[in-house]
Amino acid sequence: MKTIKIFLYASLAGSLALSTGCDENFLDINATDRVSDASIVSDSTLFEGFVINRYMGIRLTEKEGEGTPPGFGRGFEYALWSSLTDESIYNNDDNTWVIQRGQLAPENLGIAGTLWGRSYRSIRECNYALKNIGAVVMSEARKNLLTAELKFIRAYRYHDLIRNYGEVVLLGDNVPNLGDDFLDPGFFQKSSIADAIEYVAGELDEAAAGLPLNNSSGWPLGRATKGAAMALKARLLLYAASPLYNAGSWVEAAQAAKDVMELGKYNLHGDYQSLFLDENSQEIIFERLYRVGTRHVCLEISNGPNGYGGWGGNTPLQNLVDAYEVVVDENTAVPFDWNNPDHVNNMYENRDPRFYSTILHNGAPYRGRQVETFIPGGADSRDGNDNWNTSKTGYYLRKFIDENLPIQNPWDVAGIQPWIYIRYGEVLLNYAEAQNEAAGPDETVYEAVNLIRDRAGMPDLPAGLTKEQMREAIRRERQVELAFEEHRFYDVRRWMIAMETENVPAYGIQIEKDGDTFTYTRKVAIDGRSFKEQHYWLPIPRSEIQSSNNQLQQNPKY
Amino acid sequence: MWILLVLTQNIAFAQSRSVTGKVVSQDGEGLPGVNILIVGTSSGTVSDAAGAYAIEVPEGYSKLKFSYIGYATEEVDISGRSRVDVMLIPDISELSEIVVIGYGEQKRETLTGSISQVKGRDIVKSPQPNVSSSLAGRFSGIIANNRAGEPGYDDSSYFIRGTATTGDKSVLVVIDGVPGQLGGLNRLNPNDIASISILKDASAAIYGSRAANGVILVTTKRGATGKPKIDYSFDLGLSSPTRLPDMADAPTYAAILNEIEYYNNPAGGLNQIYSEEEIRKFADGSDPLNYPNTDWAEATLKKAALQSRHNLSLTGGTDNVNYFVSLGALSQDGIYKKGITKFEQYSFRSNIDAVVTDHLDVSMGIAGRQEERQFPVYGAGDIFRSIYRAYPYVADVYPNGMYSGGIEGNNPVVMVTGIGGVDINPKQIFNGILKGRFKIPGVEGLSLDGFYAVDKSWNFTKKFAKPYVLHDYHPSDGTYTERLTGGSANRARLDESHNNQTLSTSNLKLNFERQLGAHHINSFVAIEQSKSHEENFNAWRLRYPTVETPELSQGGSAPEDKYNDGWSSTFTRRSYIGRVAYNFNEKYLAEVQMRIDGSSTFPRGNRYGYYPAVSAGWRLSEESWFQNVSFIDDLKIRASYGQLGNDAVPHFQYYNNYGFNSGYVIGGSAYPGINLIKLANEQITWEVAEKTDIGINALLFNGLSMEVIYFKQKRRDILETRNASIPNVTGIVNPYSAESLVPDENIGKVNNSGWEGTLGYKNAQGDFWYDVSGNITYAKSEVIFIDEAPSVLEHQKRTGRPIDTYLLYNVIGIFRSEDELDDYPHFAGAKPGDLIFEDYNKDGSLTADDMVRTEFSNLPQLTFGLNINVGWKNFDISALFAGQGRVRQYLLPESGTIGNFYSSWADNRWSPSNTNGSYPRVDTRASSSYSGGQYRNNFWLHDASFLRLKNLAIGYNVPESLISRWRISSLRFNLNAFNLFTLTKMKDFDPEGSHEGGHFYPQQRIANFGVNVQF
Repeated sequence: MKTIKIFLYASLAGSLALSTGCDENFLDINATDRVSDASIVSDSTLFEGFVINRYMGIRLTEKEGEGTPPGFGRGFEYALWSSLTDESIYNNDDNTWVIQRGQLAPENLGIAGTLWGRSYRSIRECNYALKNIGAVVMSEARKNLLTAELKFIRAYRYHDLIRNYGEVVLLGDNVPNLGDDFLDPGFFQKSSIADAIEYVAGELDEAAAGLPLNNSSGWPLGRATKGAAMALKARLLLYAASPLYNAGSWVEAAQAAKDVMELGKYNLHGDYQSLFLDENSQEIIFERLYRVGTRHVCLEISNGPNGYGGWGGNTPLQNLVDAYEVVVDENTAVPFDWNNPDHVNNMYENRDPRFYSTILHNGAPYRGRQVETFIPGGADSRDGNDNWNTSKTGYYLRKFIDENLPIQNPWDVAGIQPWIYIRYGEVLLNYAEAQNEAAGPDETVYEAVNLIRDRAGMPDLPAGLTKEQMREAIRRERQVELAFEEHRFYDVRRWMIAMETENVPAYGIQIEKDGDTFTYTRKVAIDGRSFKEQHYWLPIPRSEIQSSNNQLQQNPKY
Repeated sequence: MWILLVLTQNIAFAQSRSVTGKVVSQDGEGLPGVNILIVGTSSGTVSDAAGAYAIEVPEGYSKLKFSYIGYATEEVDISGRSRVDVMLIPDISELSEIVVIGYGEQKRETLTGSISQVKGRDIVKSPQPNVSSSLAGRFSGIIANNRAGEPGYDDSSYFIRGTATTGDKSVLVVIDGVPGQLGGLNRLNPNDIASISILKDASAAIYGSRAANGVILVTTKRGATGKPKIDYSFDLGLSSPTRLPDMADAPTYAAILNEIEYYNNPAGGLNQIYSEEEIRKFADGSDPLNYPNTDWAEATLKKAALQSRHNLSLTGGTDNVNYFVSLGALSQDGIYKKGITKFEQYSFRSNIDAVVTDHLDVSMGIAGRQEERQFPVYGAGDIFRSIYRAYPYVADVYPNGMYSGGIEGNNPVVMVTGIGGVDINPKQIFNGILKGRFKIPGVEGLSLDGFYAVDKSWNFTKKFAKPYVLHDYHPSDGTYTERLTGGSANRARLDESHNNQTLSTSNLKLNFERQLGAHHINSFVAIEQSKSHEENFNAWRLRYPTVETPELSQGGSAPEDKYNDGWSSTFTRRSYIGRVAYNFNEKYLAEVQMRIDGSSTFPRGNRYGYYPAVSAGWRLSEESWFQNVSFIDDLKIRASYGQLGNDAVPHFQYYNNYGFNSGYVIGGSAYPGINLIKLANEQITWEVAEKTDIGINALLFNGLSMEVIYFKQKRRDILETRNASIPNVTGIVNPYSAESLVPDENIGKVNNSGWEGTLGYKNAQGDFWYDVSGNITYAKSEVIFIDEAPSVLEHQKRTGRPIDTYLLYNVIGIFRSEDELDDYPHFAGAKPGDLIFEDYNKDGSLTADDMVRTEFSNLPQLTFGLNINVGWKNFDISALFAGQGRVRQYLLPESGTIGNFYSSWADNRWSPSNTNGSYPRVDTRASSSYSGGQYRNNFWLHDASFLRLKNLAIGYNVPESLISRWRISSLRFNLNAFNLFTLTKMKDFDPEGSHEGGHFYPQQRIANFGVNVQF
């Protein structure tokens, strides 16, 4: 009994001691490095900060988004999207050869597995902002601007999805949340390509209506303008009309491109090579800017020749080199011909000037000396330093490269070139292609293509081309003009020529030097290049099909 | 009030008498500092330097209890005696050992929980100065793996009974009563440690919301009454890697490059890069300038690195004040030939206990530590990566003495030096604890105690990276060109950071302990609260005009040359704790405990968790009917059950989190944009572990001890983030290697069960004594619920299998030829020489459906240890073997044209000329090749089982007769070693490693000589 009493006494004293220390606020801690929905919606500056970052997406795999998060498409990464095409191969593989070799599959996505997730995350975030913008304390005018901007960003994400996956799920204005039933079939209902493009084109119309024509101090460079929305729409409609999509009309595509041309705002940049280093160019319609501290990969070292200390990353293929015409005289240019010994023996003479701006070849002047890919003894060949980095194709990337930026030790200096999403040159080619398909090679078609060729320093197209000849000419023009700009991958698919172009071996060049003469031999750079029927569209990741409980339909033939 | 009055009256009428005596050891020497307690009370005294004591014993008490660390506790009947001399016998049984438990101590025989304890004197036998590396193999229930061996970063990862969570797995460390004391366990001076207890079962529930992964209790040494005793020890050791992979030499690698090129372009043949003539030149060394053959590990690493330790301590005390004061110094060098890697540590500790009045004891503990790390500007991971990557056909140093560019400007021989700058990282830690204990007058056994502890740590780094010049030799014209590397933007760069942490903990505790006849009660209630705060500050500066001014103020002045950032965080906790332990004649034992924990991590309403535990024991050997079983000296069965929690998740997950991220450039500069970082989980709360434990302890034949334990844990509400079940089309997509967008949710369920066994035998005959103790632990987890995709395949499920298993293709061979390739399903792109993956579902084609989840992970299910101690006259030897089984480690070396190959692969590769090779063909990049990372497979999954001699110590005590005239009371010489030898199937790396690419500073083998002298 006494024991119990003593214990009671003890407990009493104990609870007394406890009650004195009770202060629930002791456990209330406020975050000092993050804010809540309430802040986002109540503070117009924060809200706009949220909107602006939607131009970027999240990183979803390693070797992606070095320096800053990825934007739309792939952009400047170690392995460029071009290294999944007949433009280049990535020297160190890094999950690109799996695609070059036709092994792309839902469980084996190489570098092509992140667009799905990244795009949908951004779309959801745009939807969140669109849903809440009404509550933000902000002028109606500013709200309209931001609404238009959000619609543009969301449309660009859909554009990324459609051109890679074909039929995609449209989220509408839905903001899915954690409490939702993620097995709801509504999440997995794909729209037809036609419906999706119609939706996105409509969104782009609304965006174009709300966005300003020009960048300004209140709307700085890097934010979308009216022209960006219109040009993106023109690209989408061109895709829609193309054979693979078969979901639109060439007339509408031509008109959409023409609408951009008639804005009268854009002009071709005077010089092709420097265009890619000048973020203020009149030719650029929409771009991503970079600065030291918010850079992309340092292109000079990652792509540079081994003899300069570069890593020889994205190395152009002979397949692309062959596409550059040989200039015969000021009015004539002819295709390069392997059966023509003059062409072969003077491989790098009199080629389309864009060749020299795009590709570093043996003998090209670069940083105070000539590039040497010849053997034996070439400084940028397997006989040079760091020969594990030497090009398997005999070429190195020149486009985008800034000679003023260092190759060695570039980390806090380089990686600052703009990535151009849309430029006027493409719009002209989009117009020419659509117009040629819609109405044949009329004067406006010639005019558009020749503007591009003039700027490049190439002779005009010969008069009197048939529609088919013009189609071929435009395709070649796109191949060389837009090389490495993430077009070839989509062009060969929508034209449905990939079964041919992508089943050609990945060729490089072997150059043997004997005295002053060079012998050029075509060789296979990586074995087993292949493209199969299913590869017209990317496979949806296996994990995505599984998390949908097999409700989401995989693309055909995977 | 009435109770109080009655109680005081009881005391007031009590009479007392004096008892004096001397406590001696077997050889008759007085033992100082022996604890002497009047049984049934909490009062007692301590023997003095000569072993003498005097104590006042109240009327009605007739027993004194003598306890001394390392000796068997004696209870002596003092009825009618005023002089009581006692001889203590070295503790063979350890049965009567006092074990440190949560918020108290307990005799081992009355323990009802599963608690292992190791004494400081065993830990100091290991020459490895990191305490976490001294735990493996010592007792059952702990799983410790030394993952890397860099001085200053050689912590082991340790788990108690495996893991039962997919969330945070860390064990709570409590030092001198302070949960999560800053500075932690690993870098404590081993000489300061009195004991380490491991709470393995529900007994840890007393630590509530942080105890689910088990608790380690550390107590530091305290003084004992007696004349001052000075103890000095010095150790000098040599450390070297336990193992390093052999790398391919230049001719082998040149042939491999040819093969890679051949596979990329078969038409070109097998000598597309190097001719046979050139390969011969690599092999014969006839032209070291043009055809070098470099062993990069040999070029970079030295055979052994020095380490040394000094330790000085002073202990003693008077009747009123005891003290323990120690100083320690440690120095470890890196194993680089010209390296600047260095770790130095200085520590002090002062534990002072004072009796202020009859009712009030006060103690103060102050400890401080300075950890000085110095590295080159490249991390160990980078350096070892470069050693393994660097090509054998590139020189490290040219014949003219110039350093080569190594691999892309990374020459490991230079990277380890100070040429590229220095990275210093001093860290200071301060721990202060003020404790008081007040015996409440009037109520016998009632006392109030409490402590207030303040911890601070200051962690500073300053890394100044300078540019330097390497040279490339051009064979074509015999010239050298400069390759500028290091620094930043061809100038120097300075990075500085500060991290300051503070932890304050306060505790107030009311105790009641009393023997009432056959009933013994020991109980307390307590309140505890703590607040931890962390401040971070980082800055860098670029483009230093000169390398002579490594100060933040002296860098480049352009806006883009400067950068700074910082953050802070605060956590608070409040807890209410109580326990009642009861025993009847030390025969029937029972304990009930409860902790209520509140944590700032969770939102109001979900903050407080309740952690009850109960346990009971029955000592059959104390029953009268048991007394005729003569060969059993002690037999106890015991069981415990309790709930424990885990709250180690980030704050603020209960609302949508947005943070600034300036990545997007508009106009001329990066805009302070905002990202959604975390979606809300308003319901977030603890993870709960229910632990059940049943054990039998027995002591047989006066020397044989055994313990068998069965344990089972059910973990529920595990905090994990959904990923697999949320389709990306919802837009809820988690980023790669960054904070998850999806918040932690209380969804996971894991069971973990197994058993432990310990068998020991101790004996002493004349001058010869020995003890042998073996332990084994088997712990296996089973995932009951984890987020998985709805249509995940049965054989790929994580559910139903252990945590953290691998999902891999089963390799069933190597395609030897085109014919074999035609005969078995394979992925597109397979070639002869590639691995054959099993068509697991036998559907005639290979897809990701054929991947199979493995049985084991890299956390061993089986661990075991064997501890042998032998003494003869003045010699003693102790050996500790530790091992593990049922464990796998994935390791795919970074090889190809990106870097060199391990010899194990290079020498045994399949090639057109060696179609019987046991390794697959080589490829451009192992990480994306068919047989490597593209189809992650179990060829690269290694059995990481091992048995190793973790520790061997040989000691010699110089006979007292030889040293006494120097006033030395003890002189001892030691030879000891760490990781002396290892039996394992792992070929290239230490089986304790966990890096899947092998890029880490290797584990160390240490041989050490030490001397210890006492005055």
